[in-house]
Amino acid sequence: MEVLRIEGLTKVFGSGRLEVRALEDINLSVAAGDLVALLGPSGSGKTTLLLCTSLILEPTLGKIVFDGETIHQQNGWAGIDIRRIRREKMGFIFQSHNLIPFLTARQNVLFPLSLVDKKGEAAEARVMELLEYMEITERADYLPALLSGGEQQRVAIARALANNPRLILADEPTASLDTVRGKKVMELLKKIAKENQSAVIVVTHDVRMIEGFDYVYYLKDGHLNHEH
Amino acid sequence: MDLAVYDLKLHKGRFIATVIGVGLLFTIVLAMNGLYRGNIHEGLAVIKATNPDLWVVERQRGGPFNETSTMPEFYHYSVKAIPGVEEASPFIFYTVERQVGDKSRHFSIIGYDVFGGLGGPQQIHAGRNIARAHYEMVAHEKLGVKLGDQVPLGLHTYTVVGLTREAISPDGEPIVYLSLPDAQEVLFQRDNEEIRNQRERLFRSLTRSLPRQTAEKLLPSLQADTHIINAILVRLGPGANRAAVARHIENWLYFSTFTTAEEIQLMLKGRLAGMTKQLLLFRTLLLIVSVVIISLVIYTFTMEKIRSIAVMKLIGAPNLTIVRLVMEQSMLLTLGAFLFGLILIHNTYHLFPKTLVLVADDDLVTFIVALFGGILASILGLWQALKTQPAMALGG
Repeated sequence: MEVLRIEGLTKVFGSGRLEVRALEDINLSVAAGDLVALLGPSGSGKTTLLLCTSLILEPTLGKIVFDGETIHQQNGWAGIDIRRIRREKMGFIFQSHNLIPFLTARQNVLFPLSLVDKKGEAAEARVMELLEYMEITERADYLPALLSGGEQQRVAIARALANNPRLILADEPTASLDTVRGKKVMELLKKIAKENQSAVIVVTHDVRMIEGFDYVYYLKDGHLNHEH
Repeated sequence: MDLAVYDLKLHKGRFIATVIGVGLLFTIVLAMNGLYRGNIHEGLAVIKATNPDLWVVERQRGGPFNETSTMPEFYHYSVKAIPGVEEASPFIFYTVERQVGDKSRHFSIIGYDVFGGLGGPQQIHAGRNIARAHYEMVAHEKLGVKLGDQVPLGLHTYTVVGLTREAISPDGEPIVYLSLPDAQEVLFQRDNEEIRNQRERLFRSLTRSLPRQTAEKLLPSLQADTHIINAILVRLGPGANRAAVARHIENWLYFSTFTTAEEIQLMLKGRLAGMTKQLLLFRTLLLIVSVVIISLVIYTFTMEKIRSIAVMKLIGAPNLTIVRLVMEQSMLLTLGAFLFGLILIHNTYHLFPKTLVLVADDDLVTFIVALFGGILASILGLWQALKTQPAMALGG
């Protein structure tokens, strides 16, 4: 089942002599359970594509269809509550974990649930289930500052999974981890894609980490090429 | 999920230090409120305690407290003769600094007709009222004397026969009640050498134009008159028309008259007005300083969380969640600081050298202003939080 479809997405910054075409006629389709890698050198447009996909940055042209809903028409947003889409149907994993420093691991995972009004015992049970899945239950009541980089990333993944998202967007999730931990995170993402039937898009520049991915795209000068 | 509380728990040391700092500012604001009320309370205490039907003072003077007023003592007989006047008593009030015990004390003296006249102490806390024409005194407890103490004032020593807790002078100093002649003597008593010199000067002036024998005869009657008072206090008879009596005194005796309410207004618009405005200005400035400090603290707290706010926005947190986070912190800081200030001032007001009168209404108004200030203070932080782009969460 198709989760995300992007058609003819173009993003232009500036105008006239200062015009920069960051993305040019991007077409992409991601189905549930797909594990997609997005590779490319610095300045290739990876982050711009991620921002457009996560509905933060409005494309100049192009259509975005997410979970059957048209979010962006050719020339503008379709008038849908974008933040609702993000909190209910998307999960985010960041390069530097980005856990909220004043919340414990458990509270960090609970936070996205509280945004969709999931409270009480059911929410707590879901948090513990995710922390168990990430094998980090014993650190549930620790503040992020007291967790290692790998542990923080596992909490961040648990947070991204909290609302059973249709799409998980991961921005350089292994950049701040060593190779062993980085590979473990990638294995975890593969497992999540298959078991949760979530589409996962991983932006990375590290080719060693994309072994076993369903699709690999290479972005260069704003153009997207399908690798295999 | 109460994000504001979780954040403050993590920074509780800084939060508590800020609460104490801003709380001390609120303490000063509340102290200023108390000082303002205390200033008015003290300024009006002697007028309210004396409370005659009419104050008769020198023509076109706002005396005897707001402005100096002097008149010959014997005029109280003339006032008493006016139809409708039941009692008219001479009254003198002045401030001195004298040695009491081993300390130099600043206090005010009221002289009044101790045999049934108006203007004396209304409530004696310990001892009795003055019963003899001379050498007895009733003092306010603040003077630090005990019953039976001997207090030298001028040439004579006065025995403390009563203690009072009521009126204090408009400057907040204790009041000492004496009989009228004693009060006049303490006020006008001059050095013997000065009396001799003045008599000699007067005698020489007279002998320039008069024979020596005539000058000697005239000399005693030309000595300075010490039978001077500051006001006449009037009690009206039953059914007397106050306005008619006042008009009669003003037209026929050429004095000014005021009711007690008018005396209070004279003080509020005159002697107390400057201090009142000054205190209002201080209170306003301190409240502004408090709001500015809270704004800067909240702005700093917000800036430190700016990446977390970007993450919250990215994962779909509505603006209300962000607004609550910033606003709650501002409110907790404001409320905590105000509560600290309130508790501190209510436990220390008696240690202030000037009287502080703390009124619940003033506390409430200050609280409302502080609360409004807290909301205002959070605007800077809110503006910063709301303009934060979720994209900031991406990247390293």
